[in-house]
Amino acid sequence: MKISFERAGGFAGMRVAHTVDTDSLSADDARELHQLVEAACFFDLPAVIQSSAPGGDQFQYKLTVEAGGRTHTVEAGDAAAPETLQPLLLRLTRLARSR
Amino acid sequence: MSTDFHPIQCIVPPHMLREIVERGSPAQRDWAIRTLRISEQFRGQRQALTGLPVAAAPTVIGAKHRIIYNAEFGSTLPGKQVRAEGEPPTGDPAVDEAYDGSGVTYDLYQDVYGRNSIDGNGLRLDSTVHYQKGYDNAFWNGQQMVYGDGDEDLPPADRLFNRFTIAIDIIGHELTHGVTQYEAKLIYWDQPGALNESMSDVFGSLVKQIKLGQSANEADWIIGQGLFTARVNGQGIRSMKAPGTAYDDPVLGKDPQPAHMKDYKNVSYDNGGVHINLGIPNHAFYTTAMELGGRAWEKAGRIWYVTLRDKLQDRSDFQAAANFTHQTAGELFGAGSLEQQAVRNGWAAVGITVDGAPPPTQPPKGCVPTALGLTRPPERVK
Repeated sequence: MKISFERAGGFAGMRVAHTVDTDSLSADDARELHQLVEAACFFDLPAVIQSSAPGGDQFQYKLTVEAGGRTHTVEAGDAAAPETLQPLLLRLTRLARSR
Repeated sequence: MSTDFHPIQCIVPPHMLREIVERGSPAQRDWAIRTLRISEQFRGQRQALTGLPVAAAPTVIGAKHRIIYNAEFGSTLPGKQVRAEGEPPTGDPAVDEAYDGSGVTYDLYQDVYGRNSIDGNGLRLDSTVHYQKGYDNAFWNGQQMVYGDGDEDLPPADRLFNRFTIAIDIIGHELTHGVTQYEAKLIYWDQPGALNESMSDVFGSLVKQIKLGQSANEADWIIGQGLFTARVNGQGIRSMKAPGTAYDDPVLGKDPQPAHMKDYKNVSYDNGGVHINLGIPNHAFYTTAMELGGRAWEKAGRIWYVTLRDKLQDRSDFQAAANFTHQTAGELFGAGSLEQQAVRNGWAAVGITVDGAPPPTQPPKGCVPTALGLTRPPERVK
């Protein structure tokens, strides 16, 4: 499974971008990512999940997952992103920072 | 490891469907409503569609009125109420900082600029703390302020961010997003978006300065001082005095802000770099305030506030801000006054020359991005 991840915006405006291939991860980390993608029902999410409400400083996420012959991209605003997706977003942010 | 997926039953949760109904495109709304109806029939429930799509309006009353909520590390807003106006400190630093910081911000707007709260009409100030786990952000969602605790879920030695209420200018920054929403309504994209962000930094910094009783030359002009842990090489998130120098860290990278138009960054992410290019108008304000000396909220702050309230419009760019602040300074302090000259010099320092007369407002063309939710950038105008 391959994941391309980008987080931009937020109060601090620090862009975080990272591509991860689970084949290059430890078995535990790979399994965790698979579980998080599955728990998020990632392949059933709409391609764009955005709020039209006004606001400021919210994160903007862009996430592409390739797995099992499928590829899906989701762009999500922070407040609009479903709670089931949040653990995956946090895990990927942390992975990007731990390189 | 296998990349196969089990044929799991993925049901989009009702709260998310409601979000899509309220905020999605027409096609997404239709899809979400259909799905909600199906899942309600499936579960024999009726409540998921109840009350849509009317959003609850925050209570409006006529004086300072703060409420602090605790999300208890979840995503549900506003969360559980933990402190209301007039109640004593709770002992939870995030709760009490959110309470005190929104109070000082209210007082700056009320006592110095005669503005009664975010909407000018006593809107209640709602803040939620302890939002999500490991949430290194603070934001304004159109109705309230929201604060994460940084990296509270990591071992202390691995943490980069402290709680986001720790710096009072962050609180002033978020609350000012509300003021901008009610006044200039600057769209959150490209230069208008960077101006929107800069207004939040300007008044956030002034909240800190008035709290500390600092004059312009005593202030550090750092946004978010104290937010980084000792592990990070940086003073804070942004420097209005020297944009681009606030941090330079092996993990977080280097502060990307320009201090001059020649370094303006055309980027596709961050809504066109709204948290990057704000360095330019931030530095124009700093330069103006330093030239005027004394307390920055009294003159430079007043010029910027009146411009935000009365002049700027949703698509105003940096040039319009320069022209309008110059015009406002002339109206408040006199044509050719020292104050008006300081404004001209402030913008000149970042490579923007004030024009004599502000340009007429351009009518919007094409799609009008109204908020964060914009999914396609408007045509870039050079």
